[in-house]
Amino acid sequence: MAKKLMKGCEAIGEAAIRAGCKLFFGYPITPQNEIPEYMSHRLPQVGGAFVQAESELAASNMIYGAAACGERVFTSSSSPGISLMQEAMSYIAASELPVVVVNIMRSGPGLGGILPTQSDYAQATKGGGHGDYRVLSLAPWSVQEAADLVADAFDLADFYRTPVYVLGDGLIGQMMEPVEFPEDRKPLRPLPPKTWATTGWRGDRPRAVVNSLFLDPIKCEQQNAKLQARYAQMRAEEVRSAYYGDEGDLDVLVVAYGTVARVTLTAMEDMKATGLKVGMLRPITVWPFPRDALAEAAERAKAILVAELSCGQMLEDVWLSTASMRPVHFLGHQGGVLLAPEEVSAAIRDVAAGRSAEVRYAG
Amino acid sequence: MFEDRVTVLVGHFGSGKTEVAVNGAIRLAEGGARVALADLDLVKPYFRSRAGRELLAAAGVDLVAPEGDDAGDLPIVLPRVRTLCADPEVRVVIDAGGDDTGARALGSLSDLLGRLGVGFDLVLNFRRPFTPDVDSAVAMAREIEAAARLRVTGVVSNTHLMGQTTPAIVLEGCALARETAGRLGVPLAAAVVEERMRDAVDEAALGCPVFPVRRLVQPPFDQEGYRVPRSGPLFRVL
Repeated sequence: MAKKLMKGCEAIGEAAIRAGCKLFFGYPITPQNEIPEYMSHRLPQVGGAFVQAESELAASNMIYGAAACGERVFTSSSSPGISLMQEAMSYIAASELPVVVVNIMRSGPGLGGILPTQSDYAQATKGGGHGDYRVLSLAPWSVQEAADLVADAFDLADFYRTPVYVLGDGLIGQMMEPVEFPEDRKPLRPLPPKTWATTGWRGDRPRAVVNSLFLDPIKCEQQNAKLQARYAQMRAEEVRSAYYGDEGDLDVLVVAYGTVARVTLTAMEDMKATGLKVGMLRPITVWPFPRDALAEAAERAKAILVAELSCGQMLEDVWLSTASMRPVHFLGHQGGVLLAPEEVSAAIRDVAAGRSAEVRYAG
Repeated sequence: MFEDRVTVLVGHFGSGKTEVAVNGAIRLAEGGARVALADLDLVKPYFRSRAGRELLAAAGVDLVAPEGDDAGDLPIVLPRVRTLCADPEVRVVIDAGGDDTGARALGSLSDLLGRLGVGFDLVLNFRRPFTPDVDSAVAMAREIEAAARLRVTGVVSNTHLMGQTTPAIVLEGCALARETAGRLGVPLAAAVVEERMRDAVDEAALGCPVFPVRRLVQPPFDQEGYRVPRSGPLFRVL
């Protein structure tokens, strides 16, 4: 297929369809409406079904039901809508069901605004709903990577029987870039048949029951242990990050993800002539967080600069990963204001020159 | 292109209406005209003409778009659009929203626009997913005409892949746009060519006037030689 010029939202929709997703349940919210729009147009063409639910609560419980039946299913929303879905996310995680949820983040708290932020990082990586669970969270920095990660998200969800987030800021959903879809993509992992799916009992296997209620404390603890074992496997096998910049000792190591990493890369190119040694670690999985890769890069750096479109959420994971071995500085915007390349390069220069104050508390 | 006093740009969302509108309005203003750019995009919240408020103000273009903190997501056609369209002293460029949904807002102006005899140009990018071929482009033109209650008067070829555009992509898109124009019974008004590519594109082979543009509608990290002076606008700023 020839390269297309697609909005992130359109590419996400197309990638889901190519991953075999035939079901979309959702509720509109800016800035991700082009995803349901795209799915409502395309799903009937491939024999699928699109339902605009009456609310995000309904949509998230519809994906819960569809996943229980063994179907590839996804929904998308933006920050306030994702908050409404958190009850179902906890139930889906507890019930060990594979779903893909795309969050095109806008500003908050509350209704906030419609412009890009990364301020749902904590919600995505620390749980979001009640109980001890984690959601594998993938954070693309381009339209192409958004499409690729959506395809991966379906495989990872099926393999681990878990919800998977694709976490993009508003710009990822709204900007247009060239994108292509591989014709011969293979699953990331061999995917076993879904013998647990509630497709009707015909006496040829134990009855499939989808459940998140465990009144017996021993059984509830065992279910928690089962989930934790899976999260441990994800931490061991699914961490993804990318490193850019100087390979030797660094004046400043920047940690940034999503479009902020794109801005940072532009800033790094602009400041090559300054002679400063700069590197960037870009988490691609924000959960599990690339702790080892970060610690390794931090050892080569005099100081760390965290740049994100929030008051400082990933910042805490950077502290945890580096155990205060290096001073950490912060650059952020909130409310939908973007970071400009000059701001990032100015912050890098300030950190290198000792003109920036170390931060000790996240916002 | 932009020969009528009032030019309306329509097309699929993401076809490049805003890029053509902003470049065209700035060019008209540089030529000494009094220019108003009406942002009628009621469809999408990002990458609209109104994001280039400062850029347009610097060029002397009167941007007509909802203002104020809470107007960002409201579907409003300002009454000034009608006033300006009726003013014989003003050149007006109307940047409509995408698809028939976006063109519907034009229906409220169709009595005036129909009477004035405006340029109603269909902007086409055949690398966009919903207009991959001539049949889909013609079908979309008909849907837009029905929603706007106006007839397309010209086709603007704008096939590109942002930074990955090649001369071959421009020519291939232009051939499809010419065929679309033929099917619609209107002229191929212009082919959009980025200024940086003008030497590389065989303009004689396009068979229509070239409309040179600088790509302005881009996220801040994709700039070449331009800098965003402050955060906020989802545009590069000259």
